[in-house]
Amino acid sequence: MKSIYKIIGIIVVAVALVLPTTLRAADAKTTAEAEWKRGIAAYSGGDYAAAVEAFEHIVALGEASADVYYNLGDAYFKLGQQRTTSSGRAFAEGELGRAILNYHRALVLNPAMEDARYNLDLARDLTNDTTAVPRSFAANIWLALRNMTTTNGWTITSIVALALCLTLTLLYLLSERIAVRKVGFFLAVLLGILFILATVLAISGRSAIESDRRAVVICNDSTPVHASPDSASKVIRRPSQGVTITRLRDHDSWCEVLFADGEKGWIRGSYIEMI
Amino acid sequence: MALTSAWVAQAQVSFTAEVPTLWALDQPFRVEFSVDSEPERDSFRAPTFEGFEVLAGPTVSTGHSIQFINGKQSSSYNCTYTFVLLPTASGTFTIGAATIKVDGKSYTSQPQPIEIVDEKRDNAGGQSQSNSGQSSKGSAASPESRIAKDDILLRLKVSNTDVYKGESIRASLVLYTRVNIDNIESLEMPSFDGFWSQELSFDNTPSREQIDGRIYEAYKITELLLSPQESGRIVIPEATMKVLAQVVVQDNRHFDPIFGGRQVYHVSRELRTAPIVVNVKEFPAGAPASFNGAVGSFSLSSRMPAAEIDSNSADQIEITISGSGNLKFLTAPKVSLPDSFELYDTKIVDNVKATATGTSGSITYTYPFVARSGGEFHIEPIQFSYFNPATGEYHTLTTEAATITVKDDGTGASTPTVGNYTGYGGTMRQLDRDIRFIHTGKLPHKAASMLILSPVYWLIIVAIAALFIVVYAAMRKRIRDNRNIVARRMKRADKVAVQRLRMAQRSMEEGNRHAFYEEMLRAMWGYISDKFNIPVSNLTKETIREELYRRGVAAATAEQFCEIITRSEEAQYAPSTDGDMSEVYAYAAEVISKIEEVVKR
Repeated sequence: MKSIYKIIGIIVVAVALVLPTTLRAADAKTTAEAEWKRGIAAYSGGDYAAAVEAFEHIVALGEASADVYYNLGDAYFKLGQQRTTSSGRAFAEGELGRAILNYHRALVLNPAMEDARYNLDLARDLTNDTTAVPRSFAANIWLALRNMTTTNGWTITSIVALALCLTLTLLYLLSERIAVRKVGFFLAVLLGILFILATVLAISGRSAIESDRRAVVICNDSTPVHASPDSASKVIRRPSQGVTITRLRDHDSWCEVLFADGEKGWIRGSYIEMI
Repeated sequence: MALTSAWVAQAQVSFTAEVPTLWALDQPFRVEFSVDSEPERDSFRAPTFEGFEVLAGPTVSTGHSIQFINGKQSSSYNCTYTFVLLPTASGTFTIGAATIKVDGKSYTSQPQPIEIVDEKRDNAGGQSQSNSGQSSKGSAASPESRIAKDDILLRLKVSNTDVYKGESIRASLVLYTRVNIDNIESLEMPSFDGFWSQELSFDNTPSREQIDGRIYEAYKITELLLSPQESGRIVIPEATMKVLAQVVVQDNRHFDPIFGGRQVYHVSRELRTAPIVVNVKEFPAGAPASFNGAVGSFSLSSRMPAAEIDSNSADQIEITISGSGNLKFLTAPKVSLPDSFELYDTKIVDNVKATATGTSGSITYTYPFVARSGGEFHIEPIQFSYFNPATGEYHTLTTEAATITVKDDGTGASTPTVGNYTGYGGTMRQLDRDIRFIHTGKLPHKAASMLILSPVYWLIIVAIAALFIVVYAAMRKRIRDNRNIVARRMKRADKVAVQRLRMAQRSMEEGNRHAFYEEMLRAMWGYISDKFNIPVSNLTKETIREELYRRGVAAATAEQFCEIITRSEEAQYAPSTDGDMSEVYAYAAEVISKIEEVVKR
């Protein structure tokens, strides 16, 4: 029994170590809350430029979450639409590209956010993005499963599954009644499988985020993509703003990028923004 | 009505002067005054031909004709006074008004302007001079050289080269010539890329025009209406034409007394126009929301539906746009109706003609609709915007707003009366798509860093594993101890029973019946409880029988065991003999030893 107290003691010490940083963040949190309210009010009132400013400030404060990125994407999208009607040209300042960028960022933090996915699809219809090479059925299922919740969601699932699995193992090992032991055994096996699955999904989600080299074209006009990192070389493509690409490597101020359909080319680094 | 006007026209006298508009100095020309009714004798008064020398005239010629067409008689009369004049100076002159009297009434002809051009610089001259100016070696020269390079010209004239997108311009291809043209062999029109073009009907009578001080006969070949469809510099490439010109040469060597030795040659010439650059301007900024590329000058009229209609009945909104401009490219103005109104496909009827100033006429848009539910509805004014290139401004025309009262016919929306509409039971239409609204509520917590494989994660995993091990170890020890107690108790069951039986024996010897049977019962119940690890409270005779049977004890033995319990319970309070006690005691010892034999194995 004494060892249980020891463990509780360790947990208390861990929480005490995390607490000071939490207190330091409280100040930024208050500002972020005010900006959040201001952004929502500006957006509702149709002042999308102010909404963009407010939500961007929250991101700059380091208080960003999936919802903040989602709202920022919406504000950019509406701002672009609003400017369209007065000047006659759609998304003249690259707002569509920034909207798509922020929807992507929201989905990285919360792959299960359905609203962001809907708006991203809608915004993407306005770009000249190439259609992606279709994934295999198994890969699609794996992705759909992984995107059911966040990486942390899977991590917590795995921890809870492990705890329940071990509890039921105890029941199996220590109970004297055959029926209880049987149920305990099977549930423990099932929860063990769930633990392994959730852990693998969480690790896979983490590595996917860490190895994410995707970027979005944010330049307002049809941006030239050259065959080599040299502005004199042939222009092989002109992606519009909002086209999503993968950044492969850098050379001077140029980036080698990979399009969804497998085509490669070189683009100025300032024309794209990493997700 | 038409008949009377025709009659009036016939009764009116027309007195006209026919004068060329352009003529060369030192070349005689004719001026004709003609009247279509018989004039009074000697009533013609000619104008003073200032700046001209009258070579001949007036020469009077009269004509009279009678026609019968389908039994209908018509007659015409014509009297012409002709003068031959020689210009004496270059410049613009006016052939003054002549007067004449018909049936006592005096008529005056319209004064006609004439431009006289000095062509002296030009010594090659026209065909008429070819045998006088260069006559000495005229016969030696080839027929080709008899036509100067600028004797035949082809020009493409564009009415305006600096226009807005969609604004109409007129382009005409004109052939200018100073020689006889026998035939047009081929004509290649330029490609009007970037323009929408339409041919216009035009007056094809030749006219005389002056280019660089020389007079040409001008033949209009074709006339087009062009409407640029894109902004920027648009180049109209050259048009090419091959003509066959006629040259008449006076041949002195083969002088023919009858035909005068005239030789007619045909000379083929290829003509080209210069490319023309048209600068097409983009519309200026600040276009209204309802602007959809309409350029020109328009007016808008509308016919709104009746102010009161029945629900589920059809009505329509009619909008007519009339005026001139790019009518052919107009798109129907957007009509927004309340949601319960069902708008059907717009019907477009156009009555558009191409004229020299652009297409003009009217287009009528009909928007049929069916009102589904009752109530009072407000119909937004319909807006139509256009750009006027003449003023460089946008104009917006607006229809009046209308309010429609829809009377509910009581049948509800589910029983429509129009078309094959199936009520509200059909699938709902997706009217439009837009991004979803932002997320409101409280500021969500900032995105947590990833937990998986982090130190905290490992800490939790290790903690859970440690907790498991500790709990397992602790529990297993307790279980093991428990198991030992049970095992000991089971081992001791026999001994305890023997002890109890001994205590019963003591009670029997003391003659205490009640205590004896109590000890007996305790011994019996306690033995089973300890032996099979069943709490005494859970024991009944039935469970004992069952448990013994399960452990392989013979049914008879189990029955004997239960009988002892029954007899002890009965005897506890009932009067009985001493012999009973010893009998029960011996019987119990025997049964227990029997059970022990079976269960121990």
